[in-house]
Amino acid sequence: MQKFFRKLLANFKEYITLVVLLLISLFLLSINNKPGVERFRAISFGTFAYITSTVHSITNIFKNDSETAKLRLENAELMLEVNKLRNYALQNEHLRKMLEMKDTLTYYLLAADVISKLTSKIEGNFIINVGSKHGVEVGMPVINEQGLVGIVIGVAASFSSVRTLENISLNAAVTNQRSGINGILSWNGQRHVIKNIPTTFDMQIGDRIETSEFSTILPPAIPVGIIVEKETEVSGLLSYIYVKPFADVKSVKNLFVVRFVKNIQIDTLETNLLKRIK
Amino acid sequence: MKKEYIKYFLIFIPALILQLSLVPLISIDHFTPDLIVILLVYFTLSEGQLHGTVAGALLGFLFDLFSGNLLGISMFSKTIAAFTAGYFYNENKIESNMAVMNFSLIVFLSAFIDSFFNGIFTDNQSVGIVFMIFEKSLFPAIYTSVVGALIIISLPKRKLI
Repeated sequence: MQKFFRKLLANFKEYITLVVLLLISLFLLSINNKPGVERFRAISFGTFAYITSTVHSITNIFKNDSETAKLRLENAELMLEVNKLRNYALQNEHLRKMLEMKDTLTYYLLAADVISKLTSKIEGNFIINVGSKHGVEVGMPVINEQGLVGIVIGVAASFSSVRTLENISLNAAVTNQRSGINGILSWNGQRHVIKNIPTTFDMQIGDRIETSEFSTILPPAIPVGIIVEKETEVSGLLSYIYVKPFADVKSVKNLFVVRFVKNIQIDTLETNLLKRIK
Repeated sequence: MKKEYIKYFLIFIPALILQLSLVPLISIDHFTPDLIVILLVYFTLSEGQLHGTVAGALLGFLFDLFSGNLLGISMFSKTIAAFTAGYFYNENKIESNMAVMNFSLIVFLSAFIDSFFNGIFTDNQSVGIVFMIFEKSLFPAIYTSVVGALIIISLPKRKLI
């Protein structure tokens, strides 16, 4: 029996090794969300990011970015401000008085550089050079001076990983700024699309799309893109709305993390509401 | 033999750094060559299927760890890619396998398999199998094999490691 197993092992050692290694990798995939593993990942990715950051700074040694960075920050703040003003113009005065939410909404921007891009056609992820010690938290949106770029999905001490708009795993609740119609924006590997919008809904080419108040991950009123095409499904009942993002995700280098975690705000509001009811 | 492994290890770490920091700079419409796969194929063709498979798993694991990816995705795909490259290993044919044409074809096959298996772990419902094969696997594999061919041309014979 022992001889048989020894022979089996000798003859099929490559296959046995392959199966064992594949099982280990599948096991690792299944435990990714455990807190211990997440911490381990954050530490190792943060440590390695120091090296990539050094390489990045060497490649950018001849660029003096301080002035540009300042202007970009100003641009990004102005972009958010302009969008907010557009909203004010479009909103009903009465509703604004009732809600008084957007009036009090302030975004704190934290400048960051992309130090590594891990992009494929369907999965876009960046590593940026700000992390938990700068106040970055998982779930914070990432923008540039043009609009939304992505969302923070992992944080180490000095670095964070960002899931970009060009990632099929990122589905964002968005709204049409003019008509107020909501939908879910996703990346299909080629284009950004809002699926399953009834054809009777008011979505016109040229309308601006921004993040929705219904989003559980993103703060409202961050510009996302513009409607460029409307396609009706075979049944004729639903439309696919194609959106061109304002931010060019492929070429983005300098970013801003919006220090705002939607869930905390919602939680606070809900808690306050419950207190009032009681 | 052990000395050889240390040499490989010393090449793999800078390759990981290059892959994460500089290679994206030469991407063509999102397609980037995979230096890890090129080195993995070279290692497998030199050392054999078993060693290559283990190296694939280790490198994939390190890549996942350092890139912030989900742990296990690249480990899975690179293990299979190296195992596939191992089928071409023949102690008596190492020289011919390292010839530009053969090497780039093996790199192409391994890179295709690596990209394909890497892709199936992502939510591909909205992407579709044709897209997965062509855009996610075929084009990056072509780019990787071209870069692999350039690397093998630019090096003196059997002097990569």
